[in-house]
Amino acid sequence: MKSIHKLIIALSLTAGVSVTSCQKLNVPPKNIFTSDVIFNSQAGIQSFLATLYQDLPIEDFKYLPSSADGAGSGGGYGFLHGGNDWTEFYNEAGAIGEEVGPWSGFNIGGGFGFWPYGDIRNVNIMIAELPKHATQLTQTGVDALLGEAHFLRAYYYFGMAKRYGGVPIITVPQDPGASLSTLQVHRDKEQAVWDFIGAELDLGYKMMPATSDAGRANKYVAAALKSRAMLYAACVAKYGSTNFVDGEAHTAGFAGIPASAATAYFQAAYDAAKLLDGVYSLYNATPGDKVQNYVDLFLKPNSPENIFIKQYSKANNTAHSWDATMSPRYFTADALSRSYPTLDLVQLWGNLQVTNSDGTPKRFDNRADIQQGLEPRLLATVYFPGATLRGLTFDMQRGIYPSFSGTAAAEVAKQPNSRSYILSGDTKTLYQGKQVIGFTGPWTGGDELTRTGFYVRKYVDYNRVQATVGLNSSVQPWIDLRYAEVLLNRAEAAVELGNAGDALADINQIRARAGATLYGSVDLTKVRNERRMELAFENQYYWDIKRWRTADQVLDRAHFKGLMPYYVYDENKYIFLAEPELFNREYTFPKQSYYEPIPGGEISKNPNLLPNNPGY
Amino acid sequence: MKKLISIILAGMAVLAISACTKTDNYDGPNASFQGNIISTAGGNLPTSSGSTQIKLQQIGWTTPQTIPSKFDGTFEDTKLFKGGYRVIPTGGAFWPVYDTITVNIAQGTRHDFTVTPYIVIKNFTATLTGTTLNITYDIDAPIVAGLPTIKDTQPYVNTTKLVGTGASIRDFSDVNAVTINKDFIDMSAAEKSRTLTVPNLIPGRTFFVRVGVRLSDSYNSSNFSNIIEIDVPK
Repeated sequence: MKSIHKLIIALSLTAGVSVTSCQKLNVPPKNIFTSDVIFNSQAGIQSFLATLYQDLPIEDFKYLPSSADGAGSGGGYGFLHGGNDWTEFYNEAGAIGEEVGPWSGFNIGGGFGFWPYGDIRNVNIMIAELPKHATQLTQTGVDALLGEAHFLRAYYYFGMAKRYGGVPIITVPQDPGASLSTLQVHRDKEQAVWDFIGAELDLGYKMMPATSDAGRANKYVAAALKSRAMLYAACVAKYGSTNFVDGEAHTAGFAGIPASAATAYFQAAYDAAKLLDGVYSLYNATPGDKVQNYVDLFLKPNSPENIFIKQYSKANNTAHSWDATMSPRYFTADALSRSYPTLDLVQLWGNLQVTNSDGTPKRFDNRADIQQGLEPRLLATVYFPGATLRGLTFDMQRGIYPSFSGTAAAEVAKQPNSRSYILSGDTKTLYQGKQVIGFTGPWTGGDELTRTGFYVRKYVDYNRVQATVGLNSSVQPWIDLRYAEVLLNRAEAAVELGNAGDALADINQIRARAGATLYGSVDLTKVRNERRMELAFENQYYWDIKRWRTADQVLDRAHFKGLMPYYVYDENKYIFLAEPELFNREYTFPKQSYYEPIPGGEISKNPNLLPNNPGY
Repeated sequence: MKKLISIILAGMAVLAISACTKTDNYDGPNASFQGNIISTAGGNLPTSSGSTQIKLQQIGWTTPQTIPSKFDGTFEDTKLFKGGYRVIPTGGAFWPVYDTITVNIAQGTRHDFTVTPYIVIKNFTATLTGTTLNITYDIDAPIVAGLPTIKDTQPYVNTTKLVGTGASIRDFSDVNAVTINKDFIDMSAAEKSRTLTVPNLIPGRTFFVRVGVRLSDSYNSSNFSNIIEIDVPK
């Protein structure tokens, strides 16, 4: 009996399963977003775009250009957007002499293997899908979003073109089931990639509206980026055709552009920059206090100078740590600083008046007097000895001379052990009741106090209370594109095109706001120096010396200097000596670093990416 | 029950032991490649660290590897996988070689490369006066047309026979560099006959000295002289 029951149960189960098994399971999965869910509404598209914007190759506060020297040991490198990316001092500025930092030399040339084809695929899907949803989004809505997609795609390709030169241009979502030979796309020529970027940004300019939410692109963002990108291409053509590393990729046009293309690119950069004429203006809310004005330019969210910004939020776990890592612990709640502006950068504004005509160091009653007569923009870019922040003073002091005689040059040339100064490894040591080194350094005991006598001021939020200035708590936006850069792009292109008159007007707008004396005429050197001064620490100069192809001369066994303040005890005065920065590191740019190597992992997936760039 | 467990354990033990008996049927990296980088000016090309190297790319693989040249212009790598390789000398300071050759590398494979140096340093002398070293040498170029600009020239001083870029005492070496920044073709006969001085050598020590001429080629590479041993008397 029992076994019959079992048999019946088994039979009915089999029958039941075999009957229902013929019905196809055709229920839309609830855990996968189909294209209708995303592309039928602005809200869906916004969530799709959020990732694409977050992944843009914007070299912001958090950008780590390399994994060398322990950078990124906290978790990842490259373009970061996590909750604990607090190593801002591993910056490009610290590898090229704007600052000296934790890099042990110029060792960031290999990059970090940036390869954003995943994001590009998402943009390609967007471009393919959007036209199918015109009913829900209206044709105008579709066009505006398509323009935005072209802008995003251009930005990703720009991030690759400046690193690798020619890369495969992929404009449609590839089918993963396609044959390997169609999926393994060859490199395009460098010139083709720059032309593609230009054309994409033209589409962006044509299709996007004139205004947008902060953090999103509009037509002028596309134009501004175009001026930056075309200037890069123009310089690769002009300077890269005389200073290059020979190799297969160069001969084939994957790394390098014919010199004859330069003029057209300079013209494109100039024309794109001119489109912003009258739409944006330089921040000048407090013209009576030019230092404060220049400081606020980087902190005021509604500045008319901001073209494209990247925002951060504590709630979303994306805050950065600029405030806690650019100033020493003395001014903050935790963390430390590790990269410091060089005297070489400061002297772009002219030599500091620290030496008398007979070569002896000038005596100052007060540290802060060093700042007298300096350009407001310089004081707003770099914290000098005697400056104040959050009620405390930058009391930089390298040591004490019981007495000082002779010239500055003779003193600096002496071997350290034959100098008569008193130094200390900590801030507690006193000499005749006077503190030997400042709370803010400089010292050689570590690198959490300045090695150069200066600290970064740009972007530092002076309004915050010290107790709140901790890691991952800064939310001031990164200004990726600001009008001053567009003016500088325009001026540089104009000078290269032989239109120095236009360049003079652009440069003088910038100098007037900066509180500098106006120029009567400009040449290429002046335009380039203005760019270095205006855009210091903004991750521009690294790419500037690469596109000007001057990096191998600027960084040829280069050593950088600091300005060391000393107290002269018997005179009760301060003196300043220009000395090698305290770690005296050497920086050399190998010529192959004008291009980064195509990542090895990508080459093994796709051997058609060979030949790799020359020298790799 | 106990019996069952012991059978299972025994079975597992047999499986565990037999699972490890598979052998790797690929050969280890037991091939080697060695040879000389011969200068057309005679002898081996004198080199230093971090410049001249042999680049090898195994056929069928995408990532190249390199064998750095030793200071005497020889190279050797004894841990290579057997197979066909495309090889080429690179890194300067010699006229670029564009033709890769294919070599079947097995145990004891030898190959000599011949290169034309940019600059040849001749008549190199180093004599001591007290603790000051006086160096004289002539620079010559086998091929003048199209030669990269000459950047500078300097002595390299070290306490071991390994002396050159990246292996020298800065205060005796880099500090005494002399900038030239001229094309060879524009240099006068007097400029091609160089003298350098290295003051304040330490008495009672032995130093090894050579000179280098640096060019603005793709690698900012240097041509070197031979190495002279100097004993500074106490």
